[in-house]
Amino acid sequence: MSITEKNRLLDTLNNIQTDRPAVISPGGMMDAVVTDTLVKSGIEFPKVHADPALIEDLALAVHHSTGFENFGLPFCMTIEAEVLGSEINYGNSICVPKITMEPFKSVEEVNFLSVKNAVLEGRVPALASAIKSLAKNNRDIPVVATITGPISLAMSLVDPQSFLKELYRKPKAAHSVLDYASEFLEAYVHVLAENGATVIAIADPSATGEILGARLFREYALPQLNRVTEAARRAGLPVIIHICGNVNAIKPIFPELKAEAISLDSVVSLRQLKQEYPALKLMGNVSTYLLEFGQASKVSTATRNLVEEKIEIISPACGLSISTPLTNIQALTTAVKNPN
Amino acid sequence: MIAENKALLQGISDAVLGMEEDKVVTLVEQAIKAKIEPLVTIESLTDGIERAGKLFVEEEYFVPELLLCSDAMYAGLELVRPYLDRSVDNSIGKVVIGVIEGDTHDIGKNLVKILLDTAGFEIIDLGRDVPPKNFVDTAIENKAQFIALSTLMTTTMGSMEEVVKLLKDHDSNRQIKVIIGGGPISQGFADRIGAQGYAANAVEAARLFKRLSNN
Repeated sequence: MSITEKNRLLDTLNNIQTDRPAVISPGGMMDAVVTDTLVKSGIEFPKVHADPALIEDLALAVHHSTGFENFGLPFCMTIEAEVLGSEINYGNSICVPKITMEPFKSVEEVNFLSVKNAVLEGRVPALASAIKSLAKNNRDIPVVATITGPISLAMSLVDPQSFLKELYRKPKAAHSVLDYASEFLEAYVHVLAENGATVIAIADPSATGEILGARLFREYALPQLNRVTEAARRAGLPVIIHICGNVNAIKPIFPELKAEAISLDSVVSLRQLKQEYPALKLMGNVSTYLLEFGQASKVSTATRNLVEEKIEIISPACGLSISTPLTNIQALTTAVKNPN
Repeated sequence: MIAENKALLQGISDAVLGMEEDKVVTLVEQAIKAKIEPLVTIESLTDGIERAGKLFVEEEYFVPELLLCSDAMYAGLELVRPYLDRSVDNSIGKVVIGVIEGDTHDIGKNLVKILLDTAGFEIIDLGRDVPPKNFVDTAIENKAQFIALSTLMTTTMGSMEEVVKLLKDHDSNRQIKVIIGGGPISQGFADRIGAQGYAANAVEAARLFKRLSNN
């Protein structure tokens, strides 16, 4: 009997040998929604973002049209910030929702809301409902729920420049805000797990080594990422963490991350990283520039190289442009699933 | 220059590098009292930022450090600016800068702005989520030499190409140069869309702008 897509992903994350790498696109800022799929399915941005039936339909459409072996939800990085007070612009037919204004100018000004209440608000119920339906009706396909990581969430609440300076100037208050972000994310993860998510992906683009460096990553990002990871673990779910950019400064800290796998950007050589840290399970990292502008044959080659390098989970390097040709994405997934 | 003043100026550069805003203020006040030429004092402030930029490239300083260094530098700059000779135009060029439409990530753009300001450029900052037309209109209205575009998202790169296209229609003398940067951006992409320059980070951007304004 052949392995299901769900079991392949779960086995990979749980260190059980599988027939080949899984190939997924996690959702959040790394969703695989492209214009071709929107047009074919008749689903529109921005209407989809608050409608559970449309979220479910789009997740299904993406899965079928791209060949990715998962459902990736949601289609933005703003659900958490919205319920914690950030002003959101829902975007338009080609632009995903974004934060228009961080509500607080300083870590000392943050208004701590009740996280128990916050997870019942905004678009959380719609997302939870879509996840529930997808999980129930597609038992062989993993639902990857992507959440915004604690550093990025904090920087969606507090003016980013102030926040970064306050990591030095106001460490106590900065820690409090990050604790609050993680507290919310723990509750959020619990809701997503309860509704049938298979895997939690934590996308924390602002926690990149390029911005923080090793010292600040260790002091601020590491404990919070592990805290949220442990919450997912308690709910029975494995975790993938995505970190953007050049990771030279922080890769020595990677073995201390408790997540099952680490997803990385195209600027990182996964082959080299695997040599340096063979115990890490890696995900990535087909260039999104290649996917948008390159030929399908080059996408296939790049993908096959990753498979040969024994990268555990194959995925795009980061967020796909909405104008990425579907044929290129299909070249990626086909190169993993049907390499001949 | 007397030894005392030399030490003072070195101290200013060190204090900028050390992110010590209060110390910078104290030392700049002393420099003003000692009647050191304002431009010389400013040079030591920018020297501190340039040293910080070097540490940034070497991955010893990161974004928080660079932001704190620039706070320290600006604290000193604000004290000494009133003493500058207003009749001399010290600006070496005018730059319209912003984050392209659809994107709100602006830390990188702000770092570039700081370093360009330090290098002597006059900056018109349009902020974030800026429509292509605004860049072109502002640059032409203000007779700028450069448009500087930033984005962190692959999904918004197309708007950079639109700026270049719009500029072609309105700036037939090709006076205005478009420089681009950001996470997903590359020299290849810059060449593809006809931009005049690409820089991989804020420090490289400042160097590139200085080179281009000398030509």
